[in-house]
Amino acid sequence: MKFSLSSRSPTSQLPFTFGAPALIWQVLFFYLPLVLIAISGFVKVTETGDILGMTFDHFLFFLRPLYLKVIFSSFLLAFSNTLLCLAIAYPLAYFLAFTGKRYSNLFLFLLIVPFWTNFLLHVYAWFFVLDKDGFLNLLLQNLGLVQNPTSMLNTPFAILIMMVYYYLPYMVLPLYSSLEKMDVRLIEASFDLGATWLQTFRRIMLPLTKRGLKAGFFLVFIPSFGEFAIPELMGGDKQMFVGTVVSDYILGEETGALGAAFTVLALIFMLITAGILYWVIERLIPGKTHG
Amino acid sequence: MAKPNRLGKIANLVLVSSTYLFLYLPIVVLLVFSFNSEGFPSPWKEFTWKWYIELFQSEPLWDSFYNSLIVATCSTLLSLTMGVFLIFYAAQGGRIGSFLNLFYGNIIVPETVLAVSLLAFFGLVAIPLGLTTLILAHTVLGLGLVIPICYARFLELDHRMTEASLVLGATPIQTFFKVTLPNLRPALIAGGLLIFIVSFDDFILSYFCAGSASQTLSLYILSMLRSGISPIVNALSAVLLVLSCLFVLILFSLKSRARIF
Repeated sequence: MKFSLSSRSPTSQLPFTFGAPALIWQVLFFYLPLVLIAISGFVKVTETGDILGMTFDHFLFFLRPLYLKVIFSSFLLAFSNTLLCLAIAYPLAYFLAFTGKRYSNLFLFLLIVPFWTNFLLHVYAWFFVLDKDGFLNLLLQNLGLVQNPTSMLNTPFAILIMMVYYYLPYMVLPLYSSLEKMDVRLIEASFDLGATWLQTFRRIMLPLTKRGLKAGFFLVFIPSFGEFAIPELMGGDKQMFVGTVVSDYILGEETGALGAAFTVLALIFMLITAGILYWVIERLIPGKTHG
Repeated sequence: MAKPNRLGKIANLVLVSSTYLFLYLPIVVLLVFSFNSEGFPSPWKEFTWKWYIELFQSEPLWDSFYNSLIVATCSTLLSLTMGVFLIFYAAQGGRIGSFLNLFYGNIIVPETVLAVSLLAFFGLVAIPLGLTTLILAHTVLGLGLVIPICYARFLELDHRMTEASLVLGATPIQTFFKVTLPNLRPALIAGGLLIFIVSFDDFILSYFCAGSASQTLSLYILSMLRSGISPIVNALSAVLLVLSCLFVLILFSLKSRARIF
C-alpha cells in the first residue's frame, strides 16, 4: 500500500483541516481525560482544592492484600471468561465456516441479533432463568434433581455465565472471519496424509487462525477485565472487582484521587498481563500470523 | 470434510446446538412470559397483550427512548462525518498511517476506565452532564469503530481507479466524491449501523456521563431492574428484539458485506 496515492496526487492546502476534527476529538475526549485522571492520582490536593504537590500516597493505599485480591479476582474473571469463550467459540466458528457453511447467514444472523440488543435485557433474562422461582430451578425441580430451590443469582456462577453470554460474539466473529478465509483443502490434505484430528487442529488450523485468535483474545480479555456492569448486577455486593472499586471510589465523595490511582494501577496491571498472555499465545502457536 | 469423520461432525453439531440453546433459552423464556397475564413468580396463566399496552403508555419509557435516539443519531452522524473527512485527507495523500493508531486506543482501554475519566474531565471543564456529554462520549466510541473499518476498506480499494480518475483530469475533490466515496459506501453503512447500535445500547458510558436529569433507555431499564421483575420489561425486550432483527437484516442485505467482523 506504500505506493498508494501519496506520490501522485497533488497535496493541496485543504486536507489537514479535513483530517483534523477526528484527530482533535480523539485527543480531546479520549487521551486528555485519560492523562488527566492518571495525573490526578499523583496529585495531593487540600480540602479547598489547592494543589500541594506530588504524592504516591494514593498508590500506597492500594498496596494491601484486599485490593491486590480485587485486581487478582478481576484477572481471574477475565481469564476464565476468555478461555470459556474460546472453548465455545471455536467449534461454533468452525461450524459457521465449514460444516454449516450453507446456512452460515442464518446462523450468523441468530448470533448477532442478541449481540445487538440492549445488554441489560439479557441481564434481566438471566434473572428470569436463575432466580429462586426461575426457569432453571423449575426445570431441575420437575426433573427431581433439586428439592429445595436456591437462588443462583448473586453468585460467581451467575457472573461468569453472563460474562460468557455477553462476550461470546466478540470471540466468534474474528475466529469465523479467519476460518472463512482458510483453504479447506489444507485440512483435507492434512487428513489425507494421515494426521489425526488433534494434529490437524494444532498444526494447521491454529496457526492459520492465529490472527483471529489474537483479535478475539483482546476483544474479550480487556473489556472483561474492567467489566463493571455484570458483576454489579449479577453478583450483588459480595464480589469486588476492579470495575466496581473504580466506580465506587470515583463516584464517592472525596475519594476521586484514590479512584484515579486505582484506575491507573489496575490499567497497568491489565496491560502487563495482556502483554504476557499475548506473548504466550505468540509462542504457543507455531507459525507466522496469517489472514 | 475430507474424512467423513462422523463422530467429530456429531460432536460439533451437539456443541453448536447447545451454544444456540444457551443463547436463546433466556430470550425465549422472556418472550413467552411477556404474554402471561400474571406477574413473574406465577406460572403460565393465560395469554394477554396487557403488558404491551401498558408499555406503550408509559411516559418515562418514551422519554428515555427519545433521548437514546437523539444521542445515537447525533453521535453516529458526528463520527461518520469526521471519519469521512479523515479518509478524505488520506485520499488526498495525507499520511494518516501513524495517526490512525490513535484510534486503536479505544480497544486497549476498558470502557469503564474511559467513562470515569470522562466523568472527571467533564467536571473539570464544567460541562454539565446531560445529553451533550453523552453525545461527546459516544462519538469517541463511534470514531474508534468507524475509522478502522473505513480505513481498512479504503486500503482495499483499487488505487488504479483513483489514479485513472486523476489522470483523466478529475480534480482530487471530484475523485473523492465520484470514486472513493461510492466505493466506501458499504463500509460507511455498516459502520454507521454499528455505531448507532453501540450508542443506543450503551450502558457504561451512559451510567457515568448522563447525569441525573437525562435518562437513556439503558438507564430506564436499569431502574426497572432495580425495582424488581415486571412483565413490562419482558414486553420491552420483545419490541427491542424486533428492532435489532431489523437492523441486522439491513446489515446483511448490504451487497458486499463490509468487514465489521
